[in-house]
Amino acid sequence: MQLKILAPEKLRKKVVSRAIRNIKRGNADDDSKRGMFRPEIRLDLQRSRLMTQSYKETEGEAMVVRRAKALSNILNKMGIFIRDYERIVGYQTADPNGIFHPIEQNWKSPLRLAKSAAGKTLLDAAGRRELKKLCDYWKGKSISDRHQEILPEHLKKYWTYEGTFLWSQLSELGIPNYEKLFKLGLRGLIAEIREKMAQIDEEIPGDYVEQKEFLTAAILSLEAVISFARRYAALAKKSAARQKNASRKKILAEIAETCERVPEHPPRTFIEAVQFFYFIHLVRYLEYSTLGIGIRIDQLFGPYYEKDLKEGRITKDETLGILQLLWIKLNELGLVYSPTVSSVYGGVASLQAVTIGGTDENGKDVTNDLTYLTMEAARTLKIIEPSIVLRMHNKTPNAVYEKATDVIKTGIGYPSLFNDEALIPLFERWGVPTEDAKRYAVTGCVYIEIPGKNVVRRSVGYFVLPKCLWWALHSGVNPKTGEQHGARTPDPATFKSWHDVLTAYAEQVRFFTEKIEGLERVNNELLMHYAPRPFYSSILDGCIERGQDCRKWVYNSMLHHFSQVIGGTNVADAITAIRKVVFEDKKITLPELIAIMDKNWEGRDDIRQACLNAPKFGNDDDYADLIAAEVQARGEAAMETVKDRFGHPHRGDGSAVSATYGLAADTPATPDGRQDGEPFSDSTLAPAPGRDKKGPTAVLKSVSKISTVDTFNHLLNQKFLPKFFEEDLKPAFLGYLKTWKELNIPHIQFNVVDRETLLAAKARPDKYSDLIVRVAGFSAYFVDLSSGLQEHIIARTEQSLK
Amino acid sequence: MTRDEKGLIFNIQKFSVHDGPGIRTTVFLKGCPLACAWCSNPESQRFTPELMVRGINCRLCGACVPACPQGAIRVSKKTGRIIDRQKCDLCLKCVDSCLYESLLRCGTSMTVSQVLAEVLQDRIFYNNSGGGVTLSGGEPLAQPDFTRELLAACKQEGLHTAIETAGIASWDEMASVLDFVDLVLFDVKHLDDKIHKKTTGVGNALILENLRKAAGLCQLWLRVPLISGFNDSTIHIQNVAKLGLEVKASKISLLPYHEGGKAKSLQQGMAYAFPEGRAPGEKHVEALRRLIEATGVPASVGN
Repeated sequence: MQLKILAPEKLRKKVVSRAIRNIKRGNADDDSKRGMFRPEIRLDLQRSRLMTQSYKETEGEAMVVRRAKALSNILNKMGIFIRDYERIVGYQTADPNGIFHPIEQNWKSPLRLAKSAAGKTLLDAAGRRELKKLCDYWKGKSISDRHQEILPEHLKKYWTYEGTFLWSQLSELGIPNYEKLFKLGLRGLIAEIREKMAQIDEEIPGDYVEQKEFLTAAILSLEAVISFARRYAALAKKSAARQKNASRKKILAEIAETCERVPEHPPRTFIEAVQFFYFIHLVRYLEYSTLGIGIRIDQLFGPYYEKDLKEGRITKDETLGILQLLWIKLNELGLVYSPTVSSVYGGVASLQAVTIGGTDENGKDVTNDLTYLTMEAARTLKIIEPSIVLRMHNKTPNAVYEKATDVIKTGIGYPSLFNDEALIPLFERWGVPTEDAKRYAVTGCVYIEIPGKNVVRRSVGYFVLPKCLWWALHSGVNPKTGEQHGARTPDPATFKSWHDVLTAYAEQVRFFTEKIEGLERVNNELLMHYAPRPFYSSILDGCIERGQDCRKWVYNSMLHHFSQVIGGTNVADAITAIRKVVFEDKKITLPELIAIMDKNWEGRDDIRQACLNAPKFGNDDDYADLIAAEVQARGEAAMETVKDRFGHPHRGDGSAVSATYGLAADTPATPDGRQDGEPFSDSTLAPAPGRDKKGPTAVLKSVSKISTVDTFNHLLNQKFLPKFFEEDLKPAFLGYLKTWKELNIPHIQFNVVDRETLLAAKARPDKYSDLIVRVAGFSAYFVDLSSGLQEHIIARTEQSLK
Repeated sequence: MTRDEKGLIFNIQKFSVHDGPGIRTTVFLKGCPLACAWCSNPESQRFTPELMVRGINCRLCGACVPACPQGAIRVSKKTGRIIDRQKCDLCLKCVDSCLYESLLRCGTSMTVSQVLAEVLQDRIFYNNSGGGVTLSGGEPLAQPDFTRELLAACKQEGLHTAIETAGIASWDEMASVLDFVDLVLFDVKHLDDKIHKKTTGVGNALILENLRKAAGLCQLWLRVPLISGFNDSTIHIQNVAKLGLEVKASKISLLPYHEGGKAKSLQQGMAYAFPEGRAPGEKHVEALRRLIEATGVPASVGN
């Protein structure tokens, strides 16, 4: 008998969005009255409570063991439940509408939020009292407290967000080695750790204590995960015994059997593999605040699906149903962030993406039935997460392009397309060996990682490039206070050409990258000392072998920490405008232009128009495009001169989330004609809003002039009208995608919605609560965005049909 | 070489997907021998450059006032900007002075090489989508030398070529152009000579003769601008379908009338005389489309 799964439209109703609403724009309020979360969302204190309790009991023990015991305490005691439609189980909170906050990292944000109007629905009065009590314990002990206390004086002022960058403590990514886990099961992994222990007991290496403590902690945490699954098995068994409905009884029995088996032992079937993955995924979140998924879902689960299909255990339809159930589960994850961070995370739930397509390490295409079923699950459910990353390479079958078009057509904003031929050479430049580079996956947004490797990437900061240009035009001095905040670059009056502007800009970029990296180095080392990850370490390659926590070493390439750079296109257009208006047309001197900008163009609209009318990136015009290519490459080169704790260069990255809107508030007018606070271009490769006047083919041509290898991993948004996807125009769209591929552009994603729908949704949010838009590398419910961010999305150039 | 031949162009539109197969670049030539009252591109009719006024963009900055040698422009907060079209001699100096895209030039003289360079920018898109270049207007055959040279140059580059034409030209001229054309989007406005003459200013005898001669020389799509009460009767469309069969048209497109031309007429400072309410109903258009398909000729609406 085939087990019944709810129809997609019924399943969709089970999703309670945990997306963050952006309530700040930099330091300013942004529609905070809406609240930072939907009103039904609750802050679940269980993890904080159990973690605090464990920390109190383990004082004096090795930190890595304390972390493992805290995780055990959470997994052994947290409230669990199974919902009446589920076949895959596991929650990170005791409340079905719950989210948690990593109190050990930063307790001030949730406390402040819970007290404010924007967070008043998160906790009741008793909850608020308990939170306050829990926070008392973490005073002086949280990573954030320690960070602020230990920073050198000269870095302290850069810790606070001022407008040039937002250094952020959260958002750690990573992809476990699921292939290995599926082969061994956690029991097999524990055996491996015991072997390693026996080996060091024999050898007594110089770091014996460190290794022994780590390995002990790793076993503790893996055992805790096994017993966590068994708790679900017991619960399912008990529920099955009480269940009257025969088909539900059967499902509960299946859950009991599955949770008894995985993740302790290797999965035998598709459903066991999916449940195995989900337990690991959940605990990865629970151990340490994290984001993303990153599995290559077709490649990972393909063999289990095919075996089930061959042996008659499963059908295509049932597989689709299970994927849909998994999709619902993934939407149950979410975290509380600080209100300031909401200015870059407008509409983000958990930034989870799964990867499909592409090649294996030998370059062989991995497309299988699950590639298509994954897209079909997304097409039928139409929910914001997980986003689908589709890797395209030279041998991607045509049918994949066609299926992708059918999903893009729905307007959910994904799959987003990644171009292997453009990206793999970039990873090679970063020092990733070719066979690893070919295995890349995307965890969320456009965060690139190599599955199983100790990459432990953090998005370190949101870096406002136009503000760096602004500092370059002010010699690093804040004109309002006279304070030297940026680098001491030459007086702009001495600049002889646009090249001088570019050089000063690059120096400001380097200067601020050093500040970001300085903050991060200290934080990174603090995390090593105070927040080791014994669970996550043991499911990565290399940590058990070395007997070392993942924070103490890194995969040897520059595929690590990065800053999310925003506004690069605005910088390029600004320097182009300076070249045209100041140095070529000589309409005005540079100091005069700067004085006008500093008054936000007031009274000099003629100069602003002259700047606006200068050539702009995105129109297949070499004048602007070649400057853009140079600006992007010089900026990246400047960043890469700064090295992280392990000696790897600091990089830029295109995953700017909603920062292009949120952080633009604190950049005054810029020479591209942009006004004070006006949002930047919405992605690193996108033309500034409304400045691309030659249509979508010219955009791709312009974008193709920016070398991926000379720069970084980019993001490109395009907005198309729904009518472009009517059947007779499909060949033209496929032609557009193929050209994107051939032009070697690293990434593209689409918003498919018309202006009228967005305007209607803005006016009547109640009627459009399901409307999804692509913000940056993630999709969001339009109604969760502040009205300013909604406007920013409406203003993006709509590529219409002629 | 003849790549120095000049033509009057009023727009080069990339990413055109309705003027032939695939992704195309459409080159709009200015000037048309017909004067259809419903014309959706009235700025394309005259054979000279003109001044287009987009009033909504005007900020009343006044920069155009001293720029006009004829003193034809007045600007005040009260009355807005007033352009005396009688005084205006179309020197278009005001266009250069305008910062806000409120005064625009319609019609630029360009060489074959210049247009070709812009067309070739999107070659990669044509290759990947089965697209190419389309010459439209106005009437491309009204600038036959330029049209022929541009098409010949495109063919030399291996591009798929199309023209959109009302078919009004001497057959010799038309034949010399068709040598370089893969697809003709042939406008059929009305099959009755008298009605044709009354509404477009010219009869259709030469047009239909040219159409029949063109049959077999290249692929043909017939395009019917569908206007309520003028050419949307069942019997008329049946006859169009018959004609389509006769000339082996690969497709007949029905293009329902819209009032897009009205705003543009006003921007040119021209009156727009075509009466309202001439857009045919959606259901009726669909019925006509089916009627054509029933005769065995593929039919579409809107492209």
